[in-house]
Amino acid sequence: MNMVFKKETFRDDYSFSNSPEAIRRFPFPFPEDVYMYSVNIEPHVPGPVGSVNEHAIDVDEHYVSECEDRKITLADDPERCIALPHMMDAQWDMVELVMESLSADYPELFTLTKDGDQWHWVNKPLEVSDTFTFGDASTLPMEPLDYIGRQVQGDWVLLDQRDEDLFADAAIVTSQADWSLAFDAGMSFKEWHGPVPLANELGIFDRALKYMLHIQHGSPVRRLNWTMTINPRLDTSPEQYPLWGPDNVSVTPENVAQKVHLRVELQALFRLPRSNGLAFSIRGYLISLEELSTYPRWAKRLHRVLTNLHPDLSEYKGLDGYRQHAIDWLKQFDDGQDIGLGTQPE
Amino acid sequence: MSVLNVRVDAIEQVTEVVKHFTLVQENGEALPQFSGGSHVVVSMNINGRVHRNPYSLMGSTANTDKYEIAVRRQEKSRGGSVFMHDKVEVGTELQITYPVNLFSISKLGNKHILIAGGIGITPFMSQITDLNRLGWDYEMHYAYRSDEHAAFREELEELCGDRVHFYVESDNQRLDFNDLLRKQPLGTHVYICGPDPMVKILHHTAEELGWPENHVHSEQFSAPPIGDSFHITLSQSDMEIEVSGDMSMLEAMEEAGVDAPFLCRGGACGRCELEVISCDGVIMHNDHYLSDTEKAEGKKIMPCVSRAKCQSLVLNI
Amino acid sequence: MERGYWIRSKPLYETLVWRQRATAHCVIAKGEGGLAVLKLFQQMFPREPIKILFADDVNSSKKFADIMSVVVTEGLQICQSEQEITSELEQYLTGCKMGTQFYVAGDEHFMWNVMSVLKPYGVEDVNVNKELCGTLARSVYCVHCKTITNNAHHNIETCSGCGRNLLVRDHFSRRLGAYMGFMIDAEEPGKVPDIEEVYP
Repeated sequence: MNMVFKKETFRDDYSFSNSPEAIRRFPFPFPEDVYMYSVNIEPHVPGPVGSVNEHAIDVDEHYVSECEDRKITLADDPERCIALPHMMDAQWDMVELVMESLSADYPELFTLTKDGDQWHWVNKPLEVSDTFTFGDASTLPMEPLDYIGRQVQGDWVLLDQRDEDLFADAAIVTSQADWSLAFDAGMSFKEWHGPVPLANELGIFDRALKYMLHIQHGSPVRRLNWTMTINPRLDTSPEQYPLWGPDNVSVTPENVAQKVHLRVELQALFRLPRSNGLAFSIRGYLISLEELSTYPRWAKRLHRVLTNLHPDLSEYKGLDGYRQHAIDWLKQFDDGQDIGLGTQPE
Repeated sequence: MSVLNVRVDAIEQVTEVVKHFTLVQENGEALPQFSGGSHVVVSMNINGRVHRNPYSLMGSTANTDKYEIAVRRQEKSRGGSVFMHDKVEVGTELQITYPVNLFSISKLGNKHILIAGGIGITPFMSQITDLNRLGWDYEMHYAYRSDEHAAFREELEELCGDRVHFYVESDNQRLDFNDLLRKQPLGTHVYICGPDPMVKILHHTAEELGWPENHVHSEQFSAPPIGDSFHITLSQSDMEIEVSGDMSMLEAMEEAGVDAPFLCRGGACGRCELEVISCDGVIMHNDHYLSDTEKAEGKKIMPCVSRAKCQSLVLNI
Repeated sequence: MERGYWIRSKPLYETLVWRQRATAHCVIAKGEGGLAVLKLFQQMFPREPIKILFADDVNSSKKFADIMSVVVTEGLQICQSEQEITSELEQYLTGCKMGTQFYVAGDEHFMWNVMSVLKPYGVEDVNVNKELCGTLARSVYCVHCKTITNNAHHNIETCSGCGRNLLVRDHFSRRLGAYMGFMIDAEEPGKVPDIEEVYP
């Protein structure tokens, strides 16, 4: 496989864009014209070749640039990576999960060689070549989660399982859709989902929690979540809200197609064997309305979903400032015909 | 559920009723990592019927070239342990699930009191390897009937040093729960695995002494109770299944080819929960999972251990 | 927001009631929490040993230390400040056994300060009986500059660290003992909604 890594930015000049291949494989999340929460979890088994689900952990053309963006965010705010003291076993579980997945699925980019607990890891795209003792944090340049988190796309939360509940006791979070790790670290499942409207009443969280407690090693699961962002900005954290907040009211009919992005999170949950915790990956994919309209079927679907969206959800997802502009622009693609169920582009 | 194909690599008679089995993967690869306190569910083909029994992993979590389990022969059982003792030999192939942990050590505890009765010692053996590795404070209290039943005593002495205490019933050595729990400092967690009455007494003692519930942990591998046969209907497929007296609903469904969810198979974890659409009789809830209200409402059932006295029980699966 | 909406991380507090099953009891209170302690002593006197740590709020006109000395016949230790309470508590905790029940009463900031002292000893806040007394004032954590501003009485407070106008949310962190605050006029700087006192 010949992957060409793009050199682009997710801040300042926002030079990010998707290649035609990236647009085609985009994980479009809407199978119906109306969106409402559900426990839409399915086994995380290999999907079609070339799709974002083909591998357990997806590496795409944005890999190098996303890692660079993460590096900048962490330098500015080290509290985007937190690990409470009792989570060291979970951190090592994460190192094993990422290194084994990436080296198995992208052998031309990553290699992992083990000699007992002496591990040698090569990451060609980031020019990393390190030897360390698995289980001994002093042999890595920083804590294991920090170390490997900088070499994988997406945010990762390590959950401790205890008291029939899950606790966000370690995480690396630099591409979040508006939640603060510094604030939420240590919270239980229901606590950190506290601010989400409607879902509690629907019993979503009770069912989701029960399900997650029983996820087994060797049988990971996944689901999709979505929101929207102005500009292809990864770091839409509460911390930086003063910086990106004004963008939410900067959308005009002239710039809507380039500025408004659909942001889809591919979330996966993996049971961690040594710590008995869970690794929760939140991998963000961005696409501008303009890029999305490459496939009119998607544009039609999104037009309908946004038009029918429950006002509480729109408010919670922060769309109120520009949702109507997006609807107005997408309308040109919608002839009102029935397009059936499913997320396919055509 | 994901399965692993293993082969019995060694068998050791530990006491007259306990056998120790060493399992390795068929394909020669290392087995998956696991956390102390985990168990695997072993599938056995007994007279054409598949039985599944959970057994704790006893080996060190640091070495997953092999898994080690110990099985106590129970005569008055549904045959699983007898099968393991009488029919399984070195070279026998078995299917097991990936390790599952429903009995893990709390990472926030300051001290850990481990209490085992008889064969209940097995989950602690792997837990102790984690506790030693992490350097955490613990005590192992192991009660057994008599010297002939001292399974793994030497191994424990080697693993734990002076952290292990033995109570031999035939020598009149008794473990006093009240005494033991009273003197523990704040932040202690207690873990028990053993016969039902022993576990109940420990829970009761802890409760009476004001221990918070989330500091008391127990693991019980009770076999599903037997009873009268009864009839179930699976509403999604219209399948009709007869649950005979000596098997659980879950086993009956599995035998009929239904891929029903399960985890602990002992009524504790909730994974197998099914919705009851209708029941023209009485549901006998034998699980520890549903609340009293849920049991009374009769809309949910745990097929791994519960039964019904009825003509027809319709389940949403 | 719709009816029925509330944030699940917002802590809810109780009334102090002696627990029936215990090996000992430890009551920690400050200021108007003193009334909650006196209410405890109007209940059945527990059989197990009791320890009370209490300090009046120097800024308040309501004082309870004298009355407490009359009503509480065993285990009472009157402290002069919150710091003294927490250092006495630490000493007490080192000798504590499992089965000790904990009761805390006072304003929210005080209670979570006590919780942070209890935590390393393995006492989780879910197992502590907590009664909110005296004021609904909040501690607010500014996500932008990470400063915690105490004694917030309004829906929007000025951050004592960076000066931004922070919306005081109901989203609460037990680890930090504070509510989340974020810049309310980030999208349109200067456009701040009406500031109202809502946490008297």
